[in-house]
Amino acid sequence: MLRRYLFKRLLVAIPSLVIASLIVFTLPRLLPGDAVQLMMEEKAYGKDVDDLRHKLGLDRPIYIQYFTWVGDVVRGNLGESLWTKRTVAEELAMRLPITLLLGGLAIFFAIIIAIPIGVLSAVRADTMRDYVARSAAIIGLSVPSFWIATLVIVLPAIWWGWTPHLGFTEFSKSPTAHVLQFLLPAFILGVASAAGIMRLTRAMLLEVLRQDYVRTAWAKGLREGVVVLKHSLKNALIPVVTILGIQLAQIFSGTVIIESIFQLPGMGRFLFDAINQRDYPVIQGINLLVVSIIVLMNLAVDLLYAVLDPRIRYS
Amino acid sequence: MDAYTPSKPSLSRRDLLKWGGAGLAAAAAAPVVWSPAHAQSPKRGGTLSLRLWDPPHFDPHLTISYKTHIVYTFSHSRLLKPKAGPGVVPGTFPLEGDLAESWTQPNETTYVFKLRKGVRWHNKPPVNGRELTAEDIVYSVERFRTVKGNANAYMLASLDKVEAPDKYTVKFTLKEPYVWFLDMVANPMAVAIVPKECVEKFGDLKKPKSVVGTGPWMLDSYRPNVGYTLVRNPNYFVPGLPYIDRVEATVDEDNASRMAAFIVGKYDLGWEFPGQINRTDWVQIKDTLKQKRPRLQTAEFTGNVMSHISMRTDQKPFSDPRVRQAMSLAIDRQGILDATAEGVGVFNSPVPAALTEWSLPVAQLGEGAKYYKYDPKEAKRLLGEAGYPNGFPASICFTTYGSTVLVDSAQLILKYLKDVGIDSKLDQKEYGAYISSCFYGKFDSLTYGPQTPFLEPDNFLFGQYYPGETKNQSHINDPVVADMLIRQRRTVDVAKRREVIHDIQRYLAKQQYYVQIASGVYVAVWDGALKNYGPNLGYDYGGRLMAAWLDR
Repeated sequence: MLRRYLFKRLLVAIPSLVIASLIVFTLPRLLPGDAVQLMMEEKAYGKDVDDLRHKLGLDRPIYIQYFTWVGDVVRGNLGESLWTKRTVAEELAMRLPITLLLGGLAIFFAIIIAIPIGVLSAVRADTMRDYVARSAAIIGLSVPSFWIATLVIVLPAIWWGWTPHLGFTEFSKSPTAHVLQFLLPAFILGVASAAGIMRLTRAMLLEVLRQDYVRTAWAKGLREGVVVLKHSLKNALIPVVTILGIQLAQIFSGTVIIESIFQLPGMGRFLFDAINQRDYPVIQGINLLVVSIIVLMNLAVDLLYAVLDPRIRYS
Repeated sequence: MDAYTPSKPSLSRRDLLKWGGAGLAAAAAAPVVWSPAHAQSPKRGGTLSLRLWDPPHFDPHLTISYKTHIVYTFSHSRLLKPKAGPGVVPGTFPLEGDLAESWTQPNETTYVFKLRKGVRWHNKPPVNGRELTAEDIVYSVERFRTVKGNANAYMLASLDKVEAPDKYTVKFTLKEPYVWFLDMVANPMAVAIVPKECVEKFGDLKKPKSVVGTGPWMLDSYRPNVGYTLVRNPNYFVPGLPYIDRVEATVDEDNASRMAAFIVGKYDLGWEFPGQINRTDWVQIKDTLKQKRPRLQTAEFTGNVMSHISMRTDQKPFSDPRVRQAMSLAIDRQGILDATAEGVGVFNSPVPAALTEWSLPVAQLGEGAKYYKYDPKEAKRLLGEAGYPNGFPASICFTTYGSTVLVDSAQLILKYLKDVGIDSKLDQKEYGAYISSCFYGKFDSLTYGPQTPFLEPDNFLFGQYYPGETKNQSHINDPVVADMLIRQRRTVDVAKRREVIHDIQRYLAKQQYYVQIASGVYVAVWDGALKNYGPNLGYDYGGRLMAAWLDR
């Protein structure tokens, strides 16, 4: 049954990806200015704008450019950067692991911060602890992660002449240093996501705690831990898991700035440079990859529902 | 003198406010704080760290990007190079031989260079340390000027042919006399000498593997967005040099992290181009630096980044000199410096004040000097005399270059012009659109923006004032100027040429074809352990560090 559901969901994912590919292809071209104009100054094409446009294949009708690109993508060819002349696939292979590790750790931090605090806040609703947790969540939601990152980097440098690790250490050089350099940026990214998850956990759990079966559990004399964690939390977590899927997209967009601040050569930073240079194949390649990851993660989230709530059946 | 040398503005705001203070511009261009190296014997070894930029690729003949050219100042040689070290006054660029042992000029249009013998390429495939010959120079020069896509090829536009009469001699024949030829050859933006084996093997020089030169350091590793490492070339042709074993260049695009990294000692040079710190950042961190890095050395000198207002002088109303003079009088240059550069900076003549050998201080511009004053009343009077008593509408083509300083100054310019009746609108364009249109003179009314920071006056003057030149944004067609511009290009005697260039500046000050604003005063900063180093304009980082050494 699960296998059939999975197959159906994968089929549904195809139109999502097609629509996404259209958006991903069109949006960069709607930005003012284009790669040709930027390259003219850089590469002395001077009056030969048309020549350069032709060389880059940008003089063909946009739908032909789109179909050529999609055709290449289907064959596993994401194109070549207009500026570096390296293939997009080669560039992404180098950068994707960095962003995945950063994003994965950020989600991990978001969960381990948000869920315990959300539970505590719901169980001790309208107490001082709850107020503090909710205020913290509001702050977390309001303060942008790049601002926190800037403070975390600059203030210790000014006060104590110390700053967190800046720069990139290859895994092959030092596995420990490689992993450690992700902790702080991932934590900062995670904090922003944690705020939303914490608020939702609290709200959902409060709702579940008012259900009859929970009252029954209390009446049976079960311990608080069992009632809250085993009987209530599992049911409260379904919408939270959905939100996690959405947060994932937010975390990916957050990496654009955080990677620049912490000098991590991931996809976010690459995307930032590509947008500045109107490097269409790179922008398209990264966005398509991110969309694919998000579509797959949402699928994973849907599958998780069944694990969390046996009442959900995939038929 | 290892003591911390705090930065002092070279001229106070009050000084500049006083009109007579403009004469201090020249003084400001000289270093205020100077820190000679110890009379110690140089030490070999050590790693120097600095913040540099990620090159778009590594082919210096296929990009105007300084991000690529900087790498080549470490790894490659040129025929000549500007001297470096604590003895060189910033803003001056005396030349010395690099690959050339000596050179002669048998006539006005011929230059003959004798090459050093025994210069070897880096011992890397596909060149594998073979000896450099005159044919390599001919190959590089020909590639530089003929390869499609080299925006810097104009630097050798005067060249007719280049030949190698023998293994160690190169002969250049020019189409017409061009006295700046040697400066062009020495410029890091111009011909880096590259081996043809690399071009043949890789198709171009874009890949890191193709970075094989004869310079003091060799490219060891590169990772996009992270940085690159250069290691000492053990076979460098100057025995004993370089002293520094390893250069770590970090790509760091975030100002907060750059600042923090510098405070904690990660970088040995200031993080901004060229080895300096933005004055606004400097003001914030100098006290902290005094505690955290007490041995830091500093020097101040005028920057050569010069912004100006260009106008369609081929059309009304800007064809009338009184309108242009009024535009200049309407702008409070000191007000712009106060708002954007902590009040510190220098007013520019048509040749930027940073080029101390060539720029005439504003106070010495003669009759034209008065148009650099802030005098809105006189501006209005001149506009009235020209037939525009109520001013006129205009638009200013503009792009931000990502600079808040530029945005702030553009807003002030709008205000100043409006105060005298010139009601301008900012026509803001995206960078690419700006470059392909307004930067090359395609606009209706006005533009405002920075110019390329050249190291000699010819590019500023000839490039921007000679009829038909691509950077003649103001569409100037003035036979008097054109004649003087050609004359300075043909005057071999430096003192006489300087006179012509001074005359040009005096004449242009009256004409006000461009309204030159002001340049900031750089704060160059370097670690106290770095000895025998002298900062300068331009991005010849490798050249400036070649004979420097680390005392740690």
